[in-house]
Formats: sequence, C-alpha cells, structure tokens
Amino acid sequence: MIKLTRIDDRLMHGQVAFTWTPALNIDCIVVANDKTAKDEFQKMTMGLAKPAGVKLIIKSLQDTIVFLKDEKNRNLKILILISSVKDASVLCENISEIKSINFGGIRGREGSKLISKAITLTEDDIVILKDLLNKGIELEIRQVPTDKKQLLQELI
Amino acid sequence: MKYARFRQIKNNCCKSSFKLSSINNFYVLSTYILITLVAMFGHSEDFLGTSLINRPLVLGPLVGLALGDITQGIIIGGTLELIFMGNIKVGAAIPPDVITGGVLGTSFAIMSGKGPAIALALAVPIAILAEMIVSGLFVFRSIFNKKFEQYAEEGNYKKVQRLHILSGLLKPLLMGTITFLALQFGADAMKTFLDKIPPWVNSGLQVAGNMLPALGFALLMNLMLNKKVVPYFFLGFMLAAYLKLPVIAIGGFGVIIALIISGLQKKENISNEENEEQQQEEVAITNTNPNLSKRDLRNIFFRSLLLEANFNFETWQNSGFAFSIMPALKKFYPVKQKMSAALKRHLQFFNTSPYGSTLILGIAAAMEEQNRCSEDFDVETINSVKLGLMGPLAGVFDSLFWGTFKVIAAGVGASLAIQGNILGPVLFLLIFNIPHFLLRYNLTFIGYNTGIQFLQKLAKSNVMDRLTSGAAILGLMVVGAMPATLMSLTTPIKIGSGDSSVTLQSVLDQIVPHLLPLGLTFLVYYFVKKNVKTTYLLLGLLALGFIGSIIHVFA
Repeated sequence: MIKLTRIDDRLMHGQVAFTWTPALNIDCIVVANDKTAKDEFQKMTMGLAKPAGVKLIIKSLQDTIVFLKDEKNRNLKILILISSVKDASVLCENISEIKSINFGGIRGREGSKLISKAITLTEDDIVILKDLLNKGIELEIRQVPTDKKQLLQELI
Repeated sequence: MKYARFRQIKNNCCKSSFKLSSINNFYVLSTYILITLVAMFGHSEDFLGTSLINRPLVLGPLVGLALGDITQGIIIGGTLELIFMGNIKVGAAIPPDVITGGVLGTSFAIMSGKGPAIALALAVPIAILAEMIVSGLFVFRSIFNKKFEQYAEEGNYKKVQRLHILSGLLKPLLMGTITFLALQFGADAMKTFLDKIPPWVNSGLQVAGNMLPALGFALLMNLMLNKKVVPYFFLGFMLAAYLKLPVIAIGGFGVIIALIISGLQKKENISNEENEEQQQEEVAITNTNPNLSKRDLRNIFFRSLLLEANFNFETWQNSGFAFSIMPALKKFYPVKQKMSAALKRHLQFFNTSPYGSTLILGIAAAMEEQNRCSEDFDVETINSVKLGLMGPLAGVFDSLFWGTFKVIAAGVGASLAIQGNILGPVLFLLIFNIPHFLLRYNLTFIGYNTGIQFLQKLAKSNVMDRLTSGAAILGLMVVGAMPATLMSLTTPIKIGSGDSSVTLQSVLDQIVPHLLPLGLTFLVYYFVKKNVKTTYLLLGLLALGFIGSIIHVFA
C-alpha cells in the first residue's frame, strides 16, 4: 500500500526519516530517482539516514514502477520519494494507486519561482501539474505530517 | 512576592506626583527593555548554534528575573515547555514562535500576578501569530540572494560575511521591536483585562492548563512511537508511576537498556569502529597532508554556530555554509578570481541539521584543499558531495538531537522547573548541549581528516541502525515517564455517600496511578494520528478542562 508519494529534492532527510516515517507507520521507503540509483555514494549516505527497522529501496524510476506493480509488495506500507514534478507525473501515469502527491521541497532552479515556503516551480512544472489536477490527483503541500494541508491548486 | 512591588509601582504611576511618576515610568520602561532584551536573546539562537536557548524553559526564568520574580518565571517556563515540547524545527517546517509567545505570555502573567495557566492561555495564540511574522521574514530574506551573488562575483568575501550577519540581526531586531511594542501598548490593557477574569474562569483555565501537556506528549509520541518500541513507552510510564522514579533516573535506565538491547558499548564513539578490511579506495578523500591548522578548523566550528543566521526559504542555509567554511577559503584562495568561484560554489542551496553540519564543512574543506592542490580536480564533486550528504545527515542528526537529547533534556528540565527549581533550566541546557557541542566540535576534525571514509565505515557496519534504535528506546522511555511525572490531573468525584464514601481518585491510584493523565495523552494521540489539526486539539483540551472543572469532574 502506498501511504505517501512525496516530492522532495533532498529525498531522504530529517523530515522524512523523523516525522513522516513514524507518523504513517511506514515500513518501506522507496527512493525513485534515476541519478541516485546509479550513484553509490548517494546510496551509501541514504543508507545512513534510514530510520531503524525500515526497509530502504533505491531504484530508478522504471524499476520503481515494476516494484510497485509487484503483488508481493502489496502489503508493505510504502513511502515513495521523488525529486521532481516530472517524475511524479510518470509515476502517476503508471501507478493508478497514486491519488495524491505531497510536496515537501523543490529548490530554486533557472526560471523557477517560489510559490510556497520551500517549493519553487517552473512554467513547465505548472503545465504538468495542471494536467495532473485535471486527472483528479490531489496536490498538497505539507512539510511535516502535523502541518495543515495546503492545496497547490490555490497557488498556481 | 516580589512582583507585588512591580505592580505597586505601576499603580502608583497614576496617583503620585509628576516627578515620582516619571521615575516610576522609567522603572516600568526599563523593565520592558529588559524583557525585550530577553526576547532578542532568544531570537539570537540562530547565532548561537541552535543551542535551545530560545526555549520557554530558558527564557521563562530570564523574564522572571527582569520582573523580580525568578521562581515564578521558572515555573511558567517549565509549564510552557511541556506544551510546546512536540513543536520542533525540522527543515522548513517552522513551529509556532515560542520565543515571542513565551516571553510575552510569561511577562503578562507575572505582571498581573496570575499563574502559569494565564501564561499558557496567552502564549499559545501569540506564538501562532508571531510564527507568521517569522515565516514572512524567511521569505523576505530571499531578496538578499541577489546581493550575495553580486558579492560572490566580486570575490568580496568580507561583504558576504557582513551581509550574512546583518541579515541574521534582522530577526532579533524585528521580533524585539514587536515584543517591546506589545509590552508598551498592551501591558496595561492586558492587566485590566486579566484582573476582570472571575475566579471560576481562572480555576477552569488551571485545569485546562494541566491538560495541555497531553498535546505536547502526544505530538512527541506521534514522532517516536511505533509497534517495535511501544513496550519501552510503558516501561518508562511504570517506572515513573509505580516506582516514583524521577525523570533523570528513568533516563539513566533508558541509557542502560538501550545499550543492552542495541549491543552498543559506546554510543558516541562511532569513530572508533575500526573495520580493517574495509579500506576502500574508490572515494579516497583521506587527508594525508593537511594544510588547515587546528586553529582554522576550530574557527570553522565556531563559525558554524552562525549557520542558520540567514535562514531563508529559497536557499536556506547557503550563506551560513559559505560563512562557516570561510577560514578554509581564505587560506586556499588568496587570488580574487578563485575566491569568487569558491564563494559562488558555497552560496548554492544548502540545508542540513545544524548539529551535524560541521562534518559536511570538514569534508568540504578537505575537498577545497584538494581542488587547490591538483589541477584536474573536478570542482563539481564538491557540491555533489555536499548535496548528497546534507539530507541523509540531517536525518541522522535531527533524529538523534530532537528525538533523544531534546526529549531527555526537556523531560528532566521541566520536571524540576515546574517545582520552581533553577536546576531545571540549567540541566536542560547542559544535557542537550554537552553532547551537542562535543560532537559538533569533533565532527569538524573527523570530517576534515578522514572525510568520506568515516562515513563509508559507518555505512558498512551496522552502527547507525543500532544507534538509531537505541536512541528511540531511550527517548521513548522518557516520553513514557512524562504523563506520570509532568502532568497533574485528578478527579474529585466521590463514590458512595457519608462516611463510607471514597474518592474515585484513590481507587484509581490503587490500580494504576496517574491513569487519567495517561488516558488523556492516549486520547489526544489518537486524534493526532487521525490528523486532527493541532489548533482544534488545543481548543478541545481547553474546553474539556474548562467544562470538567465547572462540573467538578476534573481538578
């Protein structure tokens, strides 16, 4: 079961390890990121940050889709970490179970603007997001589980 | 009590002659200034290593001191700490501003001669309002980034440093001004208002105030509780409820049990874990010929205390990182052009747990040194290592410090402070900051000297897994002890009539002492799990306490 799909370009960090994981009783964190999946160093550091007793899986986006579709993994409580809006839309297209996307943090890039604390979006991102909204996907901003849900559609 | 003198003088202001009143006005004004300074001190935490000097437990006594009643300040500080215990700063999640809320709430309560209950009732809404201003400042600071970029372009590190500090000063100045204005223009009105509160409201608030810590505990449980560690919560509770052990003793037991369970001999000595066969050469960034002196590294450590001074929502701790690593840059890049490139490198987005920041600083300094020494060094790796490390290490250090050290420090500190014991705030700071500064100082050297190999060793061994699970056990035992030691909630209900009547409370005490606080904590925890908003829970608890007190169900 997918408990949370979170866009957070720091992927695994304090908020994830320390607030989301216990709050949602997560037992498997999936980092879905093509770059990280190839980077031994990143894999090593993320292994360090892994909360005790939780399984950490680092896979490319395509492999993540295979993993999520696998029946064997149905009873895991999964938290998916992705780093970009684009990756989010790829996941949504392939995994119908994802009905909601949580926005944690996207740092400033060329041509992006700050729309909420810690979230910046480019024009391209907004086009993708509007498409997701049309498909009925909930887009919500929360740094930590106790934050109030803020809906992204009110800001773009 | 001493604050009576303050109130007397305040009252005299209106009656006595002009000359006397101006002296008294001066007295009142200087008190306000002192309180403002306390608030500014709290807001300077970002300059002082995120060392928790901004917590109500620390600022309460200082406000008390300014108003001539330190004991009351300690008690109120301890009480406020309990409620705000679960509010923590992780990443960009900014909790209610306990500094402004706590300082003003404590001041108004002491000035009007009311107890902790009033302080609470005032601190909570003020903290929520003030948080909006602080968040606004964090958004506003982004506009400095253009300036930082320009200074980096010029290679002018002095201007970068100056702007970092100036921007940092904005927070204490802004929030200090707000505190002062609130006191100057709000204190009299507030006093008149508080004096009008009838006694039944006051006792209702008191009961409600006794219940509010349940929210703080529930928020902590929400962070820490999972199936595997639940027994330790109850172990902590039972040690406190049945054996009446103080929190500090339970912390001690917790350490021992955590050590036994996770099989760790020495918690902090991660660095001593030698694994000979794991000498990997792939990412060999070991320093064989260090160029930075001990003094330079010590400088980096001290500067890292200012890491969060210019915290903003766009680039977060970027200028803090540049500011901290400056001793290394100055030594390596005397040429403006190279300095400029280095400044640009380190002014990029950065955010990590301040407690472990020096490890990354040390590693980055070692890499900068390599960059200077070898021509074909790929500078891109510096930032990719920084970015790769900042998230995971934030996870490690935030859990360790917020989830364990802070919890124990607050548990021990608040349990003493609510009895008016000055040791409360002192122990609070010591328990948190001794491990904090020891680790933070040493990590600078570990990072610089052994760098990534240190992390590789850690990753190969299972030390981290054992450390985090051990820390969770310890933290949770202390949280379990909290409902029993830090919350007083009883019921005056009587069973039977006449001589044979017994109080329900005495029956409860024979079965499970402190059952009511425990039950209430779990009730709130249930709602927290159901994602009920914290504000609603706060109001709900206030209402429950209020009504419970009026119909004599709770006391």
